[in-house]
Amino acid sequence: MKTINNLVSKVLPKTILYTALLSVLLPLGVLLIWSFAGSWPWPNLLPKTFSFRVMGELFGGYSGALQVLFSSILISLAVALVSILISIPAARAIALYDFWGKDFLEFITLLPVIVPVTAFAMGTQILFIRLNLSDTVLGVILVHIILCLPYTMKILTEVTKATGTKMECQALVLGATPFQTFRYVTLPLLMPGIIAAASMAYIISFSQYFLTFLVGGGNIITFSMFMFPYIQSGDRTISSGYSILFIATSLLVFILFETLMKKYYHVEEVYFFN
Amino acid sequence: MNKILSTVMLLLLILSGIGCSQAPTPAPSSAQNQSFESALAKAKGTTVNFYGWGGDERINQWIDTQLAPKIKENYDITLKRVPMDIDQILNKLLGEKQAGKSKGPMDMVWINGENFSTAMKSQLLYGPFTQELPNFKKYIDQNSKEVQYDFGYEIKGYEAPYGKAQFVLINDSAVTPETPKNAQELLAFAKKYKGKVTYPAPPDFTGSAFVRNIIYDIVGYDKIASIGNDKEKLKIALQPAMDYLKELSPYLWQEGITYPASIAQVDNMFADGELVMTVSYNSNSVAGMIGTGRFNNTSRSFIFDKGMIGNCNYLGIPAKASNREGALVVINAILSPDIQASKYDAKNWGDLPVLDNNKLNSQEKQLFSNIPLGKGVIPQDQLLQKRLPELSADLIPVIEEVWQSQIPGKK
Amino acid sequence: MDHSKLKPYVMILPVVLLMGVFIYSLLNTLIQSFGILPAAGLNKWTLSYYQAVLSRGDLFPSLQLSLYYSLVSSILAVILGVLMSALAVSSGFTRKKLFQIFKVPIIVPHLVAALLILNLFSQSGIISRVLYQLNWVQSPQQFPSVLFDSHALGIILAYLWKEVPFVILMVVTIMEKIDGSIGEAAVNLGASKFKTFYSITLPLCLPTIYTSFLLVFAYSFGAFEIPFLLGMTSPKALPVLAYVEFTYPDLSHRPYAMALNGIMVVLSVMLTYIYYRIFKKGQKAKAGEDYQ
Repeated sequence: MKTINNLVSKVLPKTILYTALLSVLLPLGVLLIWSFAGSWPWPNLLPKTFSFRVMGELFGGYSGALQVLFSSILISLAVALVSILISIPAARAIALYDFWGKDFLEFITLLPVIVPVTAFAMGTQILFIRLNLSDTVLGVILVHIILCLPYTMKILTEVTKATGTKMECQALVLGATPFQTFRYVTLPLLMPGIIAAASMAYIISFSQYFLTFLVGGGNIITFSMFMFPYIQSGDRTISSGYSILFIATSLLVFILFETLMKKYYHVEEVYFFN
Repeated sequence: MNKILSTVMLLLLILSGIGCSQAPTPAPSSAQNQSFESALAKAKGTTVNFYGWGGDERINQWIDTQLAPKIKENYDITLKRVPMDIDQILNKLLGEKQAGKSKGPMDMVWINGENFSTAMKSQLLYGPFTQELPNFKKYIDQNSKEVQYDFGYEIKGYEAPYGKAQFVLINDSAVTPETPKNAQELLAFAKKYKGKVTYPAPPDFTGSAFVRNIIYDIVGYDKIASIGNDKEKLKIALQPAMDYLKELSPYLWQEGITYPASIAQVDNMFADGELVMTVSYNSNSVAGMIGTGRFNNTSRSFIFDKGMIGNCNYLGIPAKASNREGALVVINAILSPDIQASKYDAKNWGDLPVLDNNKLNSQEKQLFSNIPLGKGVIPQDQLLQKRLPELSADLIPVIEEVWQSQIPGKK
Repeated sequence: MDHSKLKPYVMILPVVLLMGVFIYSLLNTLIQSFGILPAAGLNKWTLSYYQAVLSRGDLFPSLQLSLYYSLVSSILAVILGVLMSALAVSSGFTRKKLFQIFKVPIIVPHLVAALLILNLFSQSGIISRVLYQLNWVQSPQQFPSVLFDSHALGIILAYLWKEVPFVILMVVTIMEKIDGSIGEAAVNLGASKFKTFYSITLPLCLPTIYTSFLLVFAYSFGAFEIPFLLGMTSPKALPVLAYVEFTYPDLSHRPYAMALNGIMVVLSVMLTYIYYRIFKKGQKAKAGEDYQ
């Protein structure tokens, strides 16, 4: 009896989880191999010939890929930061307060995900030209933030609702100022949500190309703008190389961010619904 | 799906030029010379933003490592390559126009065909400018149809030739020794290699060109061209070609029920051995594919006896370009034998030059004749003999609609 | 003090401003569907473009296809995502470094995900090659063609690969931090681990689960990249149709593309709104219970 119990409660979950992990890793492994493949026809399990074109393209300096990568990372970090900054108070308002237009706002914030990009792209471009934001970094950042808001708002609203106000009330009762409460109680409580929301915002900004073309265009070139033509054109070697770099740098950013935040805010002791 | 530039739109130019002109070129007027001189001076130390499709590593590399340094060295202009599809480019120009923007970041664009006529109809381009370019007058055959018309639309100096293309079919001689010379032989080929032949679905640019080429082969170019712009007559004349494609479909990949969305997929399936044939609008592409190792080195191009579609692609200057003078200088430089030869070299891009052979002196001709023919590529004289012009850009969506309504899906 | 009344309005201000920008852009673009596009010389209000789009023969099949694969992939993604989250949280897997690997597909652009699925499942793909090594197939054609048919398996697989990790990310964020003491108390009182999960943990995560469904459904309904690469030539999914019309070279065709976009927007908003109302109603009722 115990072995069957063990099987169900220990082995089965582990099997499922590891199978799931494999289904994530396998395609990525293939992607990595493709970055160095020259020719990889059926039925070979490994490339028939190898090629290092990718190294020249990415690191050879002439394409400007690395500079673009660096500036794109900065832009997306800015997008993530600002999205979080404006979403925390707004999410708090929706989760804990009652105000006129609350439901409407909650719904409207979802629209950028619901609506296809082509349905608002040109309007955005024209508006930004008229506001003198076109072809500027600020314009690109703002446009990206709009696209991220559905996710950051939703995640932070959920987390705010889940944390409730009990902890904060206790802190205030014990004599903490509102600012101290925010810094030492609220923020750590929200941290898991902040990490998730910031990650989503970063990646949405980093992968965005359609609107960046229109609003940024010539002067603001992002890594995605460089990468997508290769993906569309079918050059698997080069596009895989770009994709691997894309994924690797994003992972690095996430790991750094999460480590920093966890260090500062001791997230392990955070619990919801208590 | 990105019409012109999303496919391997590397062009080959037929060196011996089409409709070569015997008339002597008039001496450039001193006023035009002066304007170019002033452009040269104004452009010095500036940056020119060159927008165009960025999906081919070899093209990008040629621009970044060969063209840009030469431009910097000779004219002190920084050439900045911005990878953007022509669809995006047109969208951006359109938005800028609607918003009343006075100056935009795009100085130079790589454009042709339907996109050119669209840009012209919305007045998005600056011109006429080709007469201001000394090299244009010196090296380009201005009476050539392809210099005067782009997919049937009058150019009137609003774009300058950049490179040329001709449609070819590609297979691997080690796998399939046959080279079908017409549609009927292609049908037999598809029957023999059942399930291993297909073409990209229009409106993919290359797929669309394949369909047009079949139309030329079945119906005949002259017959189609004579219909002019009458869309209803065109639909009727097309029908035999559609019937052929219907007949062909059961022997194709996925039984012709569905087609790959882009030429990229077809190329990759060919490279992987899932297909035995692919197509390309760049007659030199097979050499490039062999060079990068994507295709086997027994791959080769082949063409139909009745001829294959050819076209030219161009460089334009947006109406609101910030650095118009710089663009003029760069375009002029691109029209030089030096740069055209470098572009033509299969080591770099392999795109044929647009210069009129008759206007080159013997030294300049040497530049080109010294360059060896790429592997698997058909010699230019053969290609030239079998080159057919494109139809008017307005007719192409009509053909694509007819294809879409009749061919894909279960029958 | 009026301050407290104003407070929420100040808190939402930046978001409201940006949403205002968005709405304005949306309206300004959709206005083209009524034939107003000065840059192409079109200045007359008309409904003819909507008429033309609505009378398209392939509009309904496209809509059907889009609804089908968005619903199937989203529902499956949520079920699998919640399952994975539950397993991961209850077995402590979330504390392992390996768990972070689940988040990687979120980073991968959708277009790349489509290509990865193509790479694995096409007739000349990796799985086919493994089967060759096992002597189960002799040629690519012998491997079953699973990607490009009316079941849209390729599209669904690609969306699943991207969306299950997203659901996991959202759900685990909440699930992991549900106070262990609640669960402990329940177990002490005799409830099995499973019952605790089912009656306590899961309901607390429900809002997040509903939200993640909404987000993945809304996205997959309107996105074109994956169905473009992995879908059949006909019928095309609705967003692919919209994109094809949008990239039509003749600009005077743009209002037609915008009319199609307009219809999509109306559909998406309607579906989302209905879902939202049902969900909100459920939430309000539940909240009523909770505050007893």
